[in-house]
Amino acid sequence: MNRLAAHLLTSLYPRRWRDRYGAEFAAHLEDGCGGIRAVTDVVRSAIRECISPTQGGNMEQPVYSFGGVVKRPSAFIPIAMSLTAMAVVLARVALVGTGPEVVINGRPDEGTVAHIWQLLMACQLPVLLFFAVTWLRRAPRQTLGVLALQAGAVLAAMAPVLYFNL
Amino acid sequence: MRSTQHVVEIENNPGNGHYSDPPLLVLASLASGPKHGHAMIEDIAGMCGTRLGPGTLYGAIARLEQQGLIEPLPPEDRRQPYRITQAGLRTLGAKLTTLHQFASAGLKRIEAL
Repeated sequence: MNRLAAHLLTSLYPRRWRDRYGAEFAAHLEDGCGGIRAVTDVVRSAIRECISPTQGGNMEQPVYSFGGVVKRPSAFIPIAMSLTAMAVVLARVALVGTGPEVVINGRPDEGTVAHIWQLLMACQLPVLLFFAVTWLRRAPRQTLGVLALQAGAVLAAMAPVLYFNL
Repeated sequence: MRSTQHVVEIENNPGNGHYSDPPLLVLASLASGPKHGHAMIEDIAGMCGTRLGPGTLYGAIARLEQQGLIEPLPPEDRRQPYRITQAGLRTLGAKLTTLHQFASAGLKRIEAL
């Protein structure tokens, strides 16, 4: 296999893996035949290494627990924002009821609570996106769990709005 | 030990008796002395007819090294030899014993047919 192909195939692996095995793996590829089976095998192994990295030992790959991931600000802030939005709506219903919308300067308005709810829900989207992009590669399983929690919190925030038809 | 299951070469067909547990094959190969990647591939091919692909081989090497079952030796030119550790030998022995028992029981059942 030529050097360029070996380098390209090696670059498919995560950085941490390349730091440890990149040079010898590229040399191994260069010395071997580069048939389609070998290329397929390398691509498949690289994908597996990206999804389920070799951890510990010389790899120095940190092990992330679910608790460790959920404690990241980008993980719990969207959940907190959704729960705050839900609390704001429930407080409004408890204090004011599900009455008509506010009229300001003769024009109907959704009211402060609705604006706060919308801001909280909208502002968490970039945080949520940042969390997904950053953590899905590092700890896919734990990240999916946190994303499910975040989705549950979003649904919980939307539930009273839909239920009371606010 | 985690098995990296995909093996590049199944020369004839998947049911031809080739054994494909890459980490175990690498351990068995290193049991006869330190080797680099290509030497392992050739040794394993000669031992059981299975030719590991480069990705599969290094997947097994990475996991075995992480588990402390093999360790790298000083590089020789561009090649990186590995050797089996004492823990690796114990693991290999235990796995082969289990396989031996399994194979013996299975063969007896076939003979009894």
